[in-house]
Amino acid sequence: MSACGSDDDALTFFFAANPEEADARMRIVNAFQREHPGIRVRTILAGGDPTQQMSTFCAGGKCPDVLMAWEFNYAGLADRGVLLDLNTLLDRDRQFAAALRADSIPALYETFGFNGGQYAFPEQWSGAFLFYNTRIFAEAGVAPPPGRWETPWTFDEFLATAAALTRRSGSGRVTQWGFVDTWSPPYSAALFGMNNGVPWAVPRVNPTHLNFDDDDFLAGIQFYADLAGVHRVAPAAADTQSISTMGLFTAGNAAMALGGHWRYQTFVQADDLEFDVAVLPTGPAAAAKGMAAQSAIGSTGLAIAADSRHREQAWEFLKFAAGPVGQSLIGESGLFVPVLRSAIDTPGFTAAHSGIRNLAVLTGGPAHSEGLPISPDWQKVHALMDRAIGPVLRGKRPAASLKRGLTPQIDEVLATA
Amino acid sequence: MNPTRRRARAGRWFIAPNLAAVAVFMAFPLAFSLYMSFQRWDLFTPPTFVGATNYRDLFTGDPLFGIAVRNTTVFTLGTVVPTVLVSLAVAGLLNRKIKGIGLFRAIAFLPLAVSSVVIAVVWQFVFNTDSGLLNIMLSWFGIAPVPWLTEPHWAMASLCLVSVWKSVPFATVILLAAMQGVPDSLHEAARIDGAGEVRRFVSITVPMIRGAVWFVVVISVINAFQAFDLVYVLTGSSGGPETGTYVLAIMLFQQAFAFLDFGYASALAWVMFAVLLVLTVVQLRLSRRNAVDQ
Repeated sequence: MSACGSDDDALTFFFAANPEEADARMRIVNAFQREHPGIRVRTILAGGDPTQQMSTFCAGGKCPDVLMAWEFNYAGLADRGVLLDLNTLLDRDRQFAAALRADSIPALYETFGFNGGQYAFPEQWSGAFLFYNTRIFAEAGVAPPPGRWETPWTFDEFLATAAALTRRSGSGRVTQWGFVDTWSPPYSAALFGMNNGVPWAVPRVNPTHLNFDDDDFLAGIQFYADLAGVHRVAPAAADTQSISTMGLFTAGNAAMALGGHWRYQTFVQADDLEFDVAVLPTGPAAAAKGMAAQSAIGSTGLAIAADSRHREQAWEFLKFAAGPVGQSLIGESGLFVPVLRSAIDTPGFTAAHSGIRNLAVLTGGPAHSEGLPISPDWQKVHALMDRAIGPVLRGKRPAASLKRGLTPQIDEVLATA
Repeated sequence: MNPTRRRARAGRWFIAPNLAAVAVFMAFPLAFSLYMSFQRWDLFTPPTFVGATNYRDLFTGDPLFGIAVRNTTVFTLGTVVPTVLVSLAVAGLLNRKIKGIGLFRAIAFLPLAVSSVVIAVVWQFVFNTDSGLLNIMLSWFGIAPVPWLTEPHWAMASLCLVSVWKSVPFATVILLAAMQGVPDSLHEAARIDGAGEVRRFVSITVPMIRGAVWFVVVISVINAFQAFDLVYVLTGSSGGPETGTYVLAIMLFQQAFAFLDFGYASALAWVMFAVLLVLTVVQLRLSRRNAVDQ
């Protein structure tokens, strides 16, 4: 993989991946090149902050032809005219367009629809769920968590399980955590808010309000914060400086880990780690509404740069990777949870996840996902969230402080977006 | 062409490359950023003139600016004062004619040769709450683990500590050079009058190197004000945890490269420049007055 910038005729493809994912990703790229020998693909692996990297490349006139897009960041680029409206290409490729729409899961496809344009095709469902260490559960005699979104467990059951599986040494030092979060804590906190029956954003695309002033949403956030701060069943920030939460789960020092399928390659390649997947718990407000457990519509997609000099080749790449052929390969490789119906419930996908008994968590995930906010000013919202939620997660302030400490500021940013 | 004009012409040719570099890499970016500070520009769409809006928003509508100013002030004071005091002491200790002093000087100057990024990464390990060297050493004295980098106030203290560690060698070099210019006869006379070592240091050495001390203060203030790389690596790109180490340079970076608001970032850069200019002029005047007094 090389840096972008040289003036050759290769199609440049920018993506982010952890090392284990990158290998699988390259298999998909190689499969495309075998099918299209006339198109050479030069990959650019993101380092650090991919949004900043993409912005800098594109502002400097060196925009990669194909870019990985995240639901949180693509709107900012689309709003600035960096990404091509794929409807312009779909309109002239009607057969593919019809097949894609028929096979797509609407919520995922619509994730990349912004201000009337379609700026990316979804490539993977990357919503969050729970991984759990089956050996730890079995040895402790604790019932494994549920494996179907329709039959969720409660916050209380989740807490009791995490508490039962947290082990402390004689000195009080934790040797095994009941729960670790391998995602981003502010986002995970919001996901617990969503699992207490309240959407995060209103409306989802170009939101004018985030529900950080809703009591039920805040109760979900408080529950998440208390896992580390009050109940000590999850590590605080200071506990994960020498070993990451991912490392804790991989090493068998955590019973449950919140994360998405992007962690699967790492966990499946870990020595002596036996794990399965489970659904997230729901809070009392969601239970009162009879709601199923929810994930987030975490989704990444593939976009084409508006000023790409290889638009036709880029279109072929998108059709391959986001279309039936590439999606089947993605499913079989175990790289992602595919986004096309025809590729999810397939023997290949099942075979690639042979150790997973609760496969319905993955295959049913896209249909049980709540939308994450999509705003061109998300970076500013993210900065505000990061600042305000930090004290809540450290146990210095209650989640209720977000009502006045965060909501008006976010609303102001969204109003000017 | 007479020889004077020929020499002048040759001189112009000699300075031309440097002048071109200054024009391209300094004058133009400065002028461009000043122009941009009156525009709204996100890199992708054409800039639009907004007058003094960026400056007005900065001073009236941005709570983060106040936080960044406060943090930068704390960081500057927390860096400059200890740097001057420690480097004075270190330079005083190194300004002796004893065997092996060269080795001690080399050790004292080593941090000067290490990049900020490397320093920050190494100190991250040292500051680790659970297994960092610092907390392990504190535990020998029965002191509970300190959340060096995970609690906002401690994170600022940690940042100052690392910054002092990084700044002391340079300041020591300057002060040591100045100290070596202090005539021995003054010390001899004071010694004959019965002045002890500390008294001689405070009453002779320090006043005699006042100019160098002011220089160190000015340079340290400028460095502290512009601190970025150390903060970025040690506590993250957004000056965390929360806004614990959110200094002006981090705010500038965030506005420019995360929010793509280059006009606003340019305005902030010019405000920083103006503040530094005022501080530097005040310090230079003070140092000149001191020199005259001397």
